Amino acid sequence: MTVEQNFEALDQFPVGMRVLAVDDDQTCLKILETLLRRCHYHVTTTNQAQKALELLRENKNKFDLVISDVDMPDMDGFKLLELVGLEMDLPVIMLSVHSDPKYVMKGVTHGACDYLLKPVRIEELKNIWQHVVRSKSRGSNNNNVGEKRDGSGNEGGGNSDQNNGRANRKRKDQYNEEEDEERDDNDDSSAQKKQRVVWTVELHKKFVAAVNQLGYEKAMPKKILDLMNVEKLTRENVASHLQKFRLYLKRISGVTNQQAIMANSDLHFLQMTSSLNGLDGFHHRPTPVGSGQFHGGTPGMRPFPSNGILGRLNSPSGIGVRNLSSPPAGMFLQNQNDLGKFHHVSSLPLNHSDGGNILQGLPMPLEFDQLQANNNNNIRNMNNNNKSIAGSSMAFPTFSTQQNSLIRAPNNNLVVLEGHPQASPSGFPGHQINKRVEHWSNAVSSSNLPPPQTSNSIHHQFNVSPLPHARPDPLEWNNVSSSYSIPFCDSAASTLSPPALDTTNPGAFSRNTDFDSNANGQPGVFYDSLQMRQSGNYGPTTDAAMLSSNPKEGFVVGQQKLQSGGFMVADAGSLDDIVNSTMKQEQSQGELSGGDMGYGGFSSLRTCI
Amino acid sequence: MQRQVALIKQSLFDQGYLDEQFMELEELQDDANPNFVEEVSALYFKDSARLINNIDQALERGSFDFNRLDSYMHQFKGSSTSIGASKVKAECTKFREYCRAGNAEGCLRTFHQLKKEHSTLRKKLEHYFQLARQAGPKETARRPK
Repeated sequence: MTVEQNFEALDQFPVGMRVLAVDDDQTCLKILETLLRRCHYHVTTTNQAQKALELLRENKNKFDLVISDVDMPDMDGFKLLELVGLEMDLPVIMLSVHSDPKYVMKGVTHGACDYLLKPVRIEELKNIWQHVVRSKSRGSNNNNVGEKRDGSGNEGGGNSDQNNGRANRKRKDQYNEEEDEERDDNDDSSAQKKQRVVWTVELHKKFVAAVNQLGYEKAMPKKILDLMNVEKLTRENVASHLQKFRLYLKRISGVTNQQAIMANSDLHFLQMTSSLNGLDGFHHRPTPVGSGQFHGGTPGMRPFPSNGILGRLNSPSGIGVRNLSSPPAGMFLQNQNDLGKFHHVSSLPLNHSDGGNILQGLPMPLEFDQLQANNNNNIRNMNNNNKSIAGSSMAFPTFSTQQNSLIRAPNNNLVVLEGHPQASPSGFPGHQINKRVEHWSNAVSSSNLPPPQTSNSIHHQFNVSPLPHARPDPLEWNNVSSSYSIPFCDSAASTLSPPALDTTNPGAFSRNTDFDSNANGQPGVFYDSLQMRQSGNYGPTTDAAMLSSNPKEGFVVGQQKLQSGGFMVADAGSLDDIVNSTMKQEQSQGELSGGDMGYGGFSSLRTCI
Repeated sequence: MQRQVALIKQSLFDQGYLDEQFMELEELQDDANPNFVEEVSALYFKDSARLINNIDQALERGSFDFNRLDSYMHQFKGSSTSIGASKVKAECTKFREYCRAGNAEGCLRTFHQLKKEHSTLRKKLEHYFQLARQAGPKETARRPK
């Protein structure tokens, strides 16, 4: 069934939804069948997994959803789940008597979109059709290679993590094929499915304003959404955007301070993004990026499997992310001195008129967050700094808007960015991030997790995620202007065709332009990643290391980026171009080589971020 | 008559032989599916009889393959849960615990108990369905083949 058809059928949907039920236990199967029939679904049953696979392979469009028991004699339910997800990309719901979280986790990581306990109640079955809708939306995005990614990003947010797992697989494949160029298409196609939110400059401004109004730490997607009062904007959109924004901010602050720190931050960011992407179901890592740093200090920060994620993030381009994550050393947070660094950062000549400022401002916020993590007091400081930043934040807003597009791409990035500019960094609310993470994860998974990139591969991986170059490290972020846009891209990169954050898209991001200019100013790293152009002065080593170290991370980053890409896509159009161009540049330039981090890592990071 | 049937049913619940799941099944029964509960019960007993047989054989063999036993019991537990046979389910759980502990003696004992519960339930349900059928449409009709 084509997507269009599916949508047409939605009129009666979920009535008539075609379900394949698999359970070796006849009693359970019969009961399940009756329950499903009662929900007005069209049911086919089999008590053998092999038979089920045959039925599915026979005609991929024959079923909308598969429900399968976990314990079956002829084939492990999880295996069936994987196969179905991979081959047919159908939503699969697991059933079991086991409520053990380990099983549930296994289901999730294998791509199940839900896990139900026996005995199944009819109420639970009445809602399963949502998985089909979600999956289809996501699917079409994926199918449109690149195009949908952006949309997926948005959708991803909504999707469960499980979906991400599945989506991720698809994304990976698709991602490779897709290029940023395709993103443009997404806009069209996504229109069908899900309203992909294009974070225009105006929208982003509103967002930033809302965040500022609420207070960075306190900014919650719902509240932001209410404040923004934008029609058709969902909480998920805001959440993922916020996430990216936060990440971005973190990155910025991280980058500015020190490359090293940034390296760590990047990791964090990447982690965040990657985690967000739901690498391996890490959804819960909402604030990976900054969280690393922040987490240290901020309790709120979510349990971001920073280790894992960061790893990912870092590797790819870890740069941006690292900074975020690494904080621990207190590079940022711990020391007031660091704040100074931020300041320093702010002084960085963000080439972009806007971006530059923003960046400056951003780093500060980021730093503050970090500090905050460490010391709540720091936040206050940050606030103070924010003033200075404010100035920059102003820039930022513009930037953000631009970034929005950019950010969107890198989902992750965007979040970061926005979060910061105004909000007191201190609060990088982990929880919020968490949400993002989820989105992220979703997005990521959906977006395209480009196959885990190795440092080397990152480079091309980057293609997938817009950010790749940006990603490399927070450093890049610091580069801010350029990196800014890119960072988002990074995360989004994976999802979005790396918006040309890097710089090619002057339109898309103000930042981009900055990059170009900044590239010079900033530690090369920053630009590199973002710019792609610049190979990571940033901390190429770090990135490279990161990248190579964790292809997965890169993957994650990429994913995230992809997701954000989805986001950005709207704006990313330009971004995509930029990213694409940047990416291409990078690739051709081999800048990445320099820092690895810059781009190469980036690509891998892409996913992570 | 119907009242009698209802009473019997109530006693089954009260005595803990059946739980809410059984009620859910009953709710699934309708005109389109008049014998649903009975059909499901029949299925269950058929299936579980087979399982019990398997377990019996495994136990008789003397070599206690706990893993295998555990997986049988897992299945058993699954169907018992689906039908709402709570006492049987409880025995299943116990059995599995003994399996995990490697307690052969415990397994045997529990299994014996389980078989008892199982046949008791079977008899009671059969009686119940019979009456229900006699009582009339409300309780659905013919015993399915």
